[in-house]
Amino acid sequence: MNVGVAHSEVNPNTRVMNSRGMWLTYALGVGLLHIVLLSIPFFSVPVAWTLTNVIHNLGMYVFLHAVKGTPFETPDQGKARLLTHWEQLDYGVQFTSSRKFFTISPIILYFLASFYTKYDPTHFILNTASLLTVLIPKMPQLHGVRIFGINK
Amino acid sequence: MANPGGGAICNGNLHNHGKQSDGSASGNCAKNGIVKEAQQNGWPHVYDKPLVESFEEAPLHVMVFTYLGYGLGTLFGYLRDFLRSCGIEKCNAAIEREEQKDFVPLYQNFENFYTRNLYMRIRDNWNRPICSAPGSRFDVMERVSDDYNWTFRFTGRIIKDVINMGSYNFLGLAASYDESMRTVKDVLEEYGLGVASTRHEMGTLDKHEELENLVAKFLNVEAAMVFGMGFATNSMNIPALVGKGCLILSDELNHASLVLGARLSGATIRIFKHNNMQSLEKLLRDAVIYGQPRIRRAWKKILILVEGIYSMEGSIVRLPQIVALKKKYKAYLYIDEAHSIGSVGPTGRGVVEFFGLDPQDVDVLMGTFTKSFGASGGYIAGRKDLVDYLRVHSHSAVYATSMSPPVAEQIIRSMKFIMGLDGTTQGLQRVRQLAKNTRYFRQRLNEMGFIIYGNEESPVIPLLLYMPAKVAAFARHLLNRKIGVVVVGFPATPLAEARARFCVSAAHTREMLDTVLENLDEMGDLLQLKYSRHRKSARPELYDETSFELDD
Repeated sequence: MNVGVAHSEVNPNTRVMNSRGMWLTYALGVGLLHIVLLSIPFFSVPVAWTLTNVIHNLGMYVFLHAVKGTPFETPDQGKARLLTHWEQLDYGVQFTSSRKFFTISPIILYFLASFYTKYDPTHFILNTASLLTVLIPKMPQLHGVRIFGINK
Repeated sequence: MANPGGGAICNGNLHNHGKQSDGSASGNCAKNGIVKEAQQNGWPHVYDKPLVESFEEAPLHVMVFTYLGYGLGTLFGYLRDFLRSCGIEKCNAAIEREEQKDFVPLYQNFENFYTRNLYMRIRDNWNRPICSAPGSRFDVMERVSDDYNWTFRFTGRIIKDVINMGSYNFLGLAASYDESMRTVKDVLEEYGLGVASTRHEMGTLDKHEELENLVAKFLNVEAAMVFGMGFATNSMNIPALVGKGCLILSDELNHASLVLGARLSGATIRIFKHNNMQSLEKLLRDAVIYGQPRIRRAWKKILILVEGIYSMEGSIVRLPQIVALKKKYKAYLYIDEAHSIGSVGPTGRGVVEFFGLDPQDVDVLMGTFTKSFGASGGYIAGRKDLVDYLRVHSHSAVYATSMSPPVAEQIIRSMKFIMGLDGTTQGLQRVRQLAKNTRYFRQRLNEMGFIIYGNEESPVIPLLLYMPAKVAAFARHLLNRKIGVVVVGFPATPLAEARARFCVSAAHTREMLDTVLENLDEMGDLLQLKYSRHRKSARPELYDETSFELDD
C-alpha cells in the first residue's frame, strides 16, 4: 500500500533509469567528468582518457553493483533489500533498453579510451581490467550471484 | 468497439469529449492542433463543451537539471554519512546502543538515506501546526529550528491570516463557529460526543438514519449507509463486497484506502493505466475470455475501482466511457468520490451529475464527508439491497464505532445547505462560486506559463516544480508572503515530477485569488518555474495598441 504517494509503483528505483532525460544527464555527466580531467594540466590526453574510463567504471560499479537496497522505504516488505540497483532495474527483467544502454556505454568509453591512448600496453591493461569489473556483473547469469560474499 | 470515445493526443494535451454514448463518434476535425470529436445530438447534457485534460511534459533541460539536483544531493548525502560514521559530524538520528551492536539490525541503514539526507533538510515545509479553523485564511504557529530541522521549537508567535491554498475546503464549510451551526451545538448538548458502540450493537442513532436518508436523497439513489471514517469506509467495505475468486480492476493512481481494501479482500487485482480506456478494455476482455488463471473458470465478479477526482493529478475519471465498458462486459463499478462530491457538477452532486449520467448506472457510489462538507466520515450509496447487505456484512458496522452525533448533524446541516433545503440559495451559489474560482485560477495559471496538470474543471490544481530545491524554496517563500501551500516531492511522486498542490475553495474571494496569483507570478520569475510552452492568452493583444484610430 503506497500511503500518501501519487503513483502505484512499488519500487521507484526500478523506473528511475527509464525516466525521460536520464540517459542524457548520464552522458552529460560523463562528458563533464572528462572535461574536468582534461583541464588539469598535469594529465596528458591518454592519461585523462584512462582516468575518465577508470573513474566512470568505478562510479558505475559502486552505484549500480555494490550498493544494495533502496534509499527510501518501499511497501514491498523489503524484497529489494538484498538486490543491487542493477538487479532491481525493471524488476529483474533482462535486456530492457536501460540495461542495454548501460551495458553499451562503458564499452563505447573503452573504445574511445583505447583509441586515444594509442593502444599503449599499460593503459590497455588498466582499461580492460576496469571494463571487466563493470561488464561481468551485468551478465544475466550473474543476477543475484554474490562472489566472495558481498552479501549482508 | 475500437474507440469508445477516447480523445486524441496532440502536443501533450488530451481532449476528451464530455458526452459520449455507446456508439463511438468517428468524426474528428483537427483545427490548429486541437482535435475535437463531432458533437452528437444525443440527450441534452448540462455540460456541452469538450473536457480538456493536459499533462504537459517539461522541456528536456528541466529534467536534466532535476536529475543533477538529486544526484548532487545523493553525493552530498554519502559524504555526510561518511562524516557521521567517522565521528566528525554528530549523528542526530537514532543509533543503536553499544550493547546492541551484535544483534540483527532492526532497520536497514540505507533505507533511511533519503529521509536523513534530503528530507530532513527541507522538513520544515511539512507538518506545520495550525491553530485556527482551516477556512480561507488560517493561523500558522511559527517554528524555528536551531539544528537544521532535526528539532523544532515554537517561538510563541502566530502567523495570522495566512491564505489557505492547501486545505480540502471546497465549499468553504470548514470555518469556525457561526450562527448557522447552532443545530450542531444543540445536538452536541443533547447527544454528547461519543457513541460508545458499533452500528450492530447500540450505536445506531436516529441521527444516522436521518443522515442516511438525506445522503440517498442528495445522490438520487435508493439508499445509503454512513461510516465514521473515510479511509475505513473503503478498507472495510471492499472486503465485504468482493472476495477470493473475484477480479478487481483498479486504476494506477488509486488512493491507499482503495488499495488496502482491495488487498484485504483477497481478490485478484489488476491495474490499468491511469484513465486509459484502451488499457481497461484490454483487461476486461482478457478477464472475460480467459477467466481465472489456471482453472479457467469465469470470475465471480469483476469490480472496476476508480476515483472521481484524483487528488495528486487533478484529473477527472472518464465516466461515460467506463459506464459504457461496464455495461458491455457486465462488470460492476465502484467510484470513490472523495474529492468530487460537493465540488463538481452543476449542483454539486459529484462526477455522475458532472457528466449528466444516471446514478443507477454506477453500482457503488462511495464518498467522504471530509472534503466538501467540513466534517469527517464516509458513505456508501447505491441500490437498497446493496446497502442492506452492507448493513449486515460490513466490517465497519460490526467492529467500528459509528459516527459521532455532532459530526452527523454538521453533515446534515451542510447537505441541506448545499441542496437548498434550508430555504436559501446560498449552497448553490457556493457551488457555482467554486466552479468560477476554479476556472479563473486555472486560466490565470495557464496564461502565466506554469505547467498545470489535470482537468480544466477540477478544483485540485497541481503545479509542477520538478527540482527538489525549488520545492523547498517555493513553500518557504510563500509562507513568508503569508500563503500556505502543500508541496510533494520524490518518492511520493514520480522522480522528476515534484509539485505543489492547490485546492481552490468557494470561500476564496477574487481578491484573495489575485493576491495568490500575484505572488505566484513573482515566485515563478524568481524560481524560473514558467516552463509551459503553450502560452494561451484569453485576452486579445489589445494592450499592444497605443491608439485605436483607424488611420494610424
